Amino acid sequence: MTGIRRKLLVVSAHADSRTPFLVQSNENIFVRMAEPVTGSEEIPAVTENDADATSEELENNQTNAMVEEGTNLLRKMEISVAEAEKRMGKNSVNIQETYTVYLIETRPIDAVAEGHNPAPDSVWRRYSEFELLRNYFLVTFPFVVVPPLPEKRAEFVWHKLSADNMDPDFVERRRVGLENFLLRVASHSVLSNDKIFYQFLTEENGWKEVVFDTGFQAKADSRLKALNATFRVKSPDKRFVELKHYSDELQSITSQLLRVRARVADRLYGVYKVHGNYGRVFSEWSAIEREMGDGLQSAGHHMDAYASSIDDILEEEEHYADQMKEYLFYAEALRAVCRKHELMQYELETAALDLASKKQQREELATGTVRTFSFKGMTNKLFGQETQEQREAKLQVLEEQIIEGEELVKEKTIECDEFVKNAWVDMVRFKEQKDRDLKEALISYAIMQISVCKKGIQMWANAKECFSKM
Amino acid sequence: MSAGTPKSLPSSGQKSIQDISHPLSAEDSVLTPSPDLGNTTSSIGEKDLSLPNGTPVDTSSPASSSSLLNRLQLDDDLDGETRDLFVTVDDPKKHVSTMETYITYRVSTKTSRTEFDLPEYSVRRRYQDFDWLRIKLEESQPTHLIPPLPEKFVMKGVVDRFSEEFVETRRKALDKFLKRVADHPVLSFNEHLNVFLSAKDLNAYKRQGLALLTKMGESVKYVTGGYKLRARPAEFAAMGDYLDVFTQKLGTIDRIAQRIIKEQSEYLVELREYGPVYSGWASSEGDLREPLEGVSGCVANCSTALEELTEDMSEDFLPVLREYVLYIESMKNVLKKRDQVQAEYEAKLEAVAFRKEERTGVSAVPTDVEKCQDRVECFNADLKADWDRWQNNKRQDFRQLLTGMADKNIQYYEKCLAAWESIIPLLQEKQDAKTDTN
Repeated sequence: MTGIRRKLLVVSAHADSRTPFLVQSNENIFVRMAEPVTGSEEIPAVTENDADATSEELENNQTNAMVEEGTNLLRKMEISVAEAEKRMGKNSVNIQETYTVYLIETRPIDAVAEGHNPAPDSVWRRYSEFELLRNYFLVTFPFVVVPPLPEKRAEFVWHKLSADNMDPDFVERRRVGLENFLLRVASHSVLSNDKIFYQFLTEENGWKEVVFDTGFQAKADSRLKALNATFRVKSPDKRFVELKHYSDELQSITSQLLRVRARVADRLYGVYKVHGNYGRVFSEWSAIEREMGDGLQSAGHHMDAYASSIDDILEEEEHYADQMKEYLFYAEALRAVCRKHELMQYELETAALDLASKKQQREELATGTVRTFSFKGMTNKLFGQETQEQREAKLQVLEEQIIEGEELVKEKTIECDEFVKNAWVDMVRFKEQKDRDLKEALISYAIMQISVCKKGIQMWANAKECFSKM
Repeated sequence: MSAGTPKSLPSSGQKSIQDISHPLSAEDSVLTPSPDLGNTTSSIGEKDLSLPNGTPVDTSSPASSSSLLNRLQLDDDLDGETRDLFVTVDDPKKHVSTMETYITYRVSTKTSRTEFDLPEYSVRRRYQDFDWLRIKLEESQPTHLIPPLPEKFVMKGVVDRFSEEFVETRRKALDKFLKRVADHPVLSFNEHLNVFLSAKDLNAYKRQGLALLTKMGESVKYVTGGYKLRARPAEFAAMGDYLDVFTQKLGTIDRIAQRIIKEQSEYLVELREYGPVYSGWASSEGDLREPLEGVSGCVANCSTALEELTEDMSEDFLPVLREYVLYIESMKNVLKKRDQVQAEYEAKLEAVAFRKEERTGVSAVPTDVEKCQDRVECFNADLKADWDRWQNNKRQDFRQLLTGMADKNIQYYEKCLAAWESIIPLLQEKQDAKTDTN
């Protein structure tokens, strides 16, 4: 790499420093950090958009990162988010706050298979640490459709559902979601081999420092200005254009689905709960009846049971909603990859354009002809030609710039091709995963509806028996 | 349910309602077999030929014979009494004349009673004829509980009086009313009922009755003279209390049922939006297309089942509750009348006692007081018998109503169950096929 190249590319040295973070060996999976968690530490937020805007040099990492492709961590260790706990602590501005930590437990599969059944290793992590990990992934592996985290705040809630982040049901659903995130990462051929991820799972302390040492944030921040830019790519890759379109569709349809489902849940809740009033009135009515009394009274109990059965039904259905939410967020991750591709393509095209104009300038200088009207051409005509030395010097600079530019275009082309290749592999993987997951989600949704119907039939049959005895 | 436009009524023969609703059409009068309803079109003579006095018409109609049969089976367990009077109200028809538009119902009778000249009758009656019958029954049988008629206007202006739903609900209520009367050991022998069931020209009879009214009115009227009843006997006080609580509970059940119907309708609106989201999604997917469309179809099937449930509940459940509210009102009226008769008796008794004090030596109780006492006792006996009968009916009706509600819900869930079960193989097959090719 030449010095000029370095200037143009800002920073690329970090690419090399990534290699040591990879898990190179299958041994020593377990590093136990026994020290307890102390307090909380505020982690500077890195938004998804920051990550989206990271620069092209990061793509250099991909080759290194994919050294270990094919192995995945789940074959080597069991991972679970076993429990959640509420804690109190001071944040960075020294204000007391309540937060939730999640216990990640890991166990080597080998030991389990051999029947040792060792106590799991465990670390406590906050949601913000999961976010940090994910942002690190976004910046480091821009060609990967990074698995999303469970929602930060409860969305698409119906009135009965709490939107409070401290709500036990919310915390439990988040626990399941975080576990799901870890399992998805651990089974991803690229992400699962990242050393930072491994340390996230196993090292209680010092993990954040290691993440920050990778300098991923600086890279994320350095391209912040690109954030707001829109790139008009001249020759877009049709496949990525289609994917981007698909991710938009997926996002809008899943959010519509979730919105309507929340309303459906709300209404269904109403239908069931109003039946509970029969329970009360039948019981009161039974008091003035002789022969009918017993039948009414017990039918009333069945109506009560019917009304309260909706709580479990909707709690179970919330799991289905979470599965849909995951794909709502996946749509965003998918789009991030497409945008990254757009950015790379744009930079490649810009570099190529720059090179072309340099070449034209050289030609003009060499031949003394001005093809296009320019101010410079005018001054030349008015004030006479530059001296031979001046021209030589200018040509010299231009030659150098053209060499640099050619090198840059070449490099960009390679980067871009490499990115497309890797991204496409992950897109195919993602598509298969999505089809499989959603099919399963639909099956379990149907099975759940079947059980709801069976329960309904049973409860009304019970009530009918009581009525018929009146 | 207000959903959907009211379907047209089945009209005479196989003719559609459009065919019959032209007042000037030549066929109209032929299709309107109700010369006794003041339909003064020119063809009465012609119809007299086809409808000789009281001759059964259409008794072979499958609808009427089968419902009579149902009736027989249904009431087999009731009291073990041998029934000899069967009535059915069915086949509503819309009549459009230049003066007014109205509905008539066919009233079919089968009987072995000697009070009737023939074993079978079939006549057409309109609501106001039923109303007339009820008034007559109330006048001539003051000590008895007369079953209620459906309200003349249900939510005036809101409901289309000629919609199929409204007419069918009313037909059911009229049928119920007439059956209750026909099953009553005293009311069923009432001469007005006989005329109502058999007379070819009821209006002629009605006009006759008008002249007699003044005479009859005398016996109907009870003079209480502002006398306040000392105390209702415990037995009747308990009835009153029961009716008060029962009214209240019925009101609550009615409100709950309406609320459920409302919640279900709103649920239906959301479901109708929910299903298409899946089919919309299907269009942007490849392998997921079929499963998503399957779910969409399922939700649509469940929506249909829900709509049926809601319709059944508003058409079959609510009207019965309302009938009972009216039934309770009738019962309360009878209780009040009984109180009046007793009050009259007590007033007379008091007067006698007062006279005794003034002029000692008069020991005999005057005969009119005795008559009064008899009347109170008769009334009490009639009322108690009617009360027991009413309780029995009520128990049976509510058993039927509530098991019916449970049945409708079971059917709803069964339909949804079938829908969801049908897509499972579809979803799993796709899954298996996929893993096979891999």
